[in-house]
Amino acid sequence: MSPFHDWAYMAFATVGLTVVTFATRGSFFMLPPSVKLPKSWERALKYAPVCALTAIVAPAVFTKEHEPYISWNNHQMWALLAAGLVFAKFRNMTAMICVGMAVFTALRLWT
Amino acid sequence: MKALRAHFFAPCPRDSYREGVRSMMPLALAISVWGLVTGVAMVNGGMTVPGALIVTFFVFAGSAQLATLPLLAVGAPLPVVWVTALLVNLRFVIFAAASRSYFVKLPWQQRLLAGYLNGDLGFALFSRKFGDATERGTPEQFGYFYGGATVNWVAWQLSSYVGIIIGGLFPTEWGFELAAALALVAVLIPMANKFPAVVGILVTGVLAVYTASMPMRLGLVVSVLIGGSVAVAADIWRSRSEVQPEPEPSAA
Repeated sequence: MSPFHDWAYMAFATVGLTVVTFATRGSFFMLPPSVKLPKSWERALKYAPVCALTAIVAPAVFTKEHEPYISWNNHQMWALLAAGLVFAKFRNMTAMICVGMAVFTALRLWT
Repeated sequence: MKALRAHFFAPCPRDSYREGVRSMMPLALAISVWGLVTGVAMVNGGMTVPGALIVTFFVFAGSAQLATLPLLAVGAPLPVVWVTALLVNLRFVIFAAASRSYFVKLPWQQRLLAGYLNGDLGFALFSRKFGDATERGTPEQFGYFYGGATVNWVAWQLSSYVGIIIGGLFPTEWGFELAAALALVAVLIPMANKFPAVVGILVTGVLAVYTASMPMRLGLVVSVLIGGSVAVAADIWRSRSEVQPEPEPSAA
């Protein structure tokens, strides 16, 4: 059975994710005003999301069946490169996703 | 209905609410594209339609939803799922700390709801407009905040629902996981504006690729811990070398 059809797994996952949303966004809104964000934590809080997003994106693009897949034939790699260039230049997410998917689809159909 | 609204929303003038709506409107397209991609990716990845609708409504955090999707798909242990969402969402703790002074005097229900609504774009617009305000917590500020938040929430929810409903129509070989990954890159790139962040990305990225075969997706947690520590170390090292410049040779 797919984990997505395991209702207990999905229910617990969703409750936990909702708690995470409220706990992070609401954190300092809910804490008493005397509690301040320590300067030393700020660094860790700043870099954790950057690294967590990377840890999701990198394997999605550069692995195949959980093994590193760094090859000229890796279509996702070229799509990411094109999309990254578009975003860096135009700061436009819509254009970026369209270009990335167009490159991916073109390579998938014609190679 | 009115009593319910007064319970959860701080009172605010109508025209400042409208101003908030107007300032978020130009971003509604980008929000909708991102919501659409997230909705399609969830259903395309195998999530049931009711499951995806519930997740979208309550979790209301695109990056955390997309980041945990591949973990849920393989039935990763729930603590790994939650910790991943927590790590991705830690940026909101900084937002909350930075904007708390505006909301601190409100009753707790209103603070809780304002927190839930304080996403990336709302925070960015609000800080740009009121970042230098000396008086904090005025009704005009709440109005502007709620106006922007309403557009953000409605655009996000509606586009996600559309994506969830049409998501099943796309064959999986069209590669919607890639669109989801690209949507995350759009969050990532603006954060990669400093040397320590770039180092963190490189170290985490390489580690995450080479630990992808670890059981229970533990490679993810390991690579974030190591990559994040390297980034923090790079930041400390850099700020030390900036704060303590070579002493000026004295004239005497």
